[in-house]
Formats: sequence, structure tokens, C-alpha cells
Amino acid sequence: MYIYASFDYSAFLELAITDLEKRGIAREHILAVPLDKRVEERMLLDTIHRADGISLFDGAAVLGAICMEFGVIYGFVLEWGPITWGLIGLLGGAILGFLLDYFYGRIRGHKKKKTTRNQVKAGECNNTEVIVTVFCENSQYEMVQKVLWDNRAFGVGKLDRLRTTMREGPENCGKEAT
Amino acid sequence: MEKKQLGLIRNQRRPKGIVNQLSVNFIHLRTPWVMAWWSASYLGYAYISLGSYVKGFILIFLEAFINVNSKLNMGILYTFTGRFELAKQIVDPDWLLFYVPLYIFSIWGGQQLTVELNKYSILADREESNMIPFKIGTWSIGFLDKRKPWMAVALSLLAPGLGHLYTHRIPTSFYTLMWWMIIAYMGHLLECIHLSVAGDFAGVIAVVDPEWLIFLPSVYTFSVYDSYVNTVEYNRLFDQEQQRFIIDNYQNSDFPMPK
Repeated sequence: MYIYASFDYSAFLELAITDLEKRGIAREHILAVPLDKRVEERMLLDTIHRADGISLFDGAAVLGAICMEFGVIYGFVLEWGPITWGLIGLLGGAILGFLLDYFYGRIRGHKKKKTTRNQVKAGECNNTEVIVTVFCENSQYEMVQKVLWDNRAFGVGKLDRLRTTMREGPENCGKEAT
Repeated sequence: MEKKQLGLIRNQRRPKGIVNQLSVNFIHLRTPWVMAWWSASYLGYAYISLGSYVKGFILIFLEAFINVNSKLNMGILYTFTGRFELAKQIVDPDWLLFYVPLYIFSIWGGQQLTVELNKYSILADREESNMIPFKIGTWSIGFLDKRKPWMAVALSLLAPGLGHLYTHRIPTSFYTLMWWMIIAYMGHLLECIHLSVAGDFAGVIAVVDPEWLIFLPSVYTFSVYDSYVNTVEYNRLFDQEQQRFIIDNYQNSDFPMPK
């Protein structure tokens, strides 16, 4: 019988696999396929000079720093003092930088790509990243399933060859066709 | 089995990085102008961010030393508020000119190093050499882990350097925390915050030391930015390392495939 489970990259994935091995599933009977994410793949094709996908944060940080600096400086001659104006500068600059990056990116047609990468990098979308297949005896099903669920699998499914063959055996298929 | 396979497939000419007790130092793609900007905002920040610590610490130490001695920050303050005569009087030319070559080198070098390391980062991605994700030693335990970028940002806002402590980048954290505390103390930051919240703005001006306070914006924003980027990139490195481990160990040709 085959048991399938999907995971993301985390220590739990290794905990699940090693737990199964400890409980008697042979290493050869565990097959794991990491899924390539398109966003990751594209990163390598970016040019060296505009490479980092976190540019939504780049602009905010840079403009935030500049405006905070000026906020502190002019705070010395303005009424509310350097601390207040420094914070106002930081917030204003960061928002401005973020918006500039966001709309500049949209005009350049990179919006979709940037958002996806940002989400993936910030760990915001819990995409399936690895598919684990375990080959085991029917009697081990409960144990394997429990181990997978306990270690934060997104989903667990099974493929029972015996049952499938009985239901859709070659004889039946032949009869239906004729 | 796994060792033999690794030796054959991978080699170690272009490593992506190394996990050490005190830090996980590794290269990833960055935008060169952003690195140049951090060097412009504070000498040597590009080097610290890129993980080139010795160069970074030399530049950072010199920056603080020259800046305080030449009263550069006071000069900046007077210049931008239109008090040019005061600016000329307060700046010490014996120290100020040291700043120029270092400043130019730092900006140029930060940009240059980023461009170079971006190439090697791509090469390392293609070579796929393996790395050991856990290192334990007498003084510390360093390892790759999945961490939350916004936690790093929040901690850095609380006190610059805490975010780097969270991501286990101890050299940056040590420097940033110490330097931030020195600046905050010398510039009377906490007293100023206290007075600002109370609305006593005249008191703020009386108490504050601009020479020190003007250091703060770059320290603050850099530590927020750098710890965020670190967390995100460490998470990606974790994924990458685990992916290679899985491919090397759990794709055995003896697996009984469904027929």
C-alpha cells in the first residue's frame, strides 16, 4: 500500500521521515519529491543588477532612513523636536518608498511576480513544497498515517492497489467496453 | 550511502555559505544600489550586511571615531538648517578630510562587492554543494531554522540588534546593540522620548545632544532592514538545504513504484 503526504520545508518533515525509519519503514521505501517553485526558478534568471526580489522592502527602508534623518535634523528647529519628527519621517518615508516600489513595479509589469515572491519569502503562503510517498504493509497504515499527521502534514492520502485492482480489474473493463 | 553519493555529485568549489557557531554566513542575491546606499548612510554597513565583517568593523570604527572628533553631525545639522557660519566654525578640518576617501571607498566598495558576490551566489546555486545545517561548539549553537521575518522587524524596532540576535547573526547583533546603547546614552535618547511623549518639546531641545542623536536613523533603519532580509534569506537557505538532503537520500532507485 502507498501513503502520500504533502509537507512544507521544515524540521517537521525530517522528524516525520526519521520517525518512520525508526518504526521500521526502510529508507528505500520512502520517496520524497521536492516541488520546484516557479518563483524560485525565475530568480536565477534575473540580472545581477536588479536581483533581489525584496525590493518592496528596499525602497521603504532606504526612503525611511533618508526621511528619518531629515526629520531628526529639522526637528531641532521645528516645534515638536527631533524625536517626533524623526518618527514622522521614518513612517512617511517608509510608506512613500513602499508605494513607489509597488507602483513602479506595476508599471514595469513585475507586480505579480514581485508579490508572489514576497509572499513566498515571507513565508506567508503555506504552499506544499514536498510530496512524500511511503510504501508499507496494510497493517502499518494506521501508524504511518499518525506519524505523518502528527508532524504537520498538510494532507495524507492512500493508494491501495489490492482494492483498486478488484474494483477496476481488466475483466470488468473489457466487459464494459463491449 | 549518503556520503558516497554526496562526494560524487557535489563538490565544494563554490559554497553557498557556512553554518558556524556565531553566525550563518552566506551569499544571496542583492540589489547593488541598496548596498551602496547603506554604505552612504553609515560607512561600512554594506560590508556588515554582506558578511564581510572585518572590513565592515574597520570602517564602522573609523566612521564613529572621525565623525565624533570632527563634529561632522553638528556640521550636517547646521548646514541643513541654514546656519552655514556655525557649521564652518564647529567642524574640525583636521579630522573632516579623513572622512572623504573612506566614504567614497565604502560606497564604491559596497556596490562592487555586491555585484561580485551576486555572480558567486548564482554559481553556488548552480553547483549545489552541500552544507551542514547545524553546528554545535563550546560557546554556542548555530543552525538553520525557519523564523518569522516580522518578528525580526519588531525586535529590531524595540532595540536595534535584537533582531539579529533572533536570527543568530551574533557579530552584527553585538556591534549594533552596543553602538545603539552608546548612542542612546550619549544623545540622551530615552530622556528625549520621555519628554516628547509628555509634550515638553523645549525640554527635548535642551537635553538632547545632536552630535549623537543624528547617528540614530541609520542605525535604526539598517538593523530593521538587515534583520528582515536575513530572516527571509535564512528561511530560503533552509528550504534549499533540505531539498538537497531529500533528493540525495529519499529518491532511491529501489523504491517499489506502483505498477
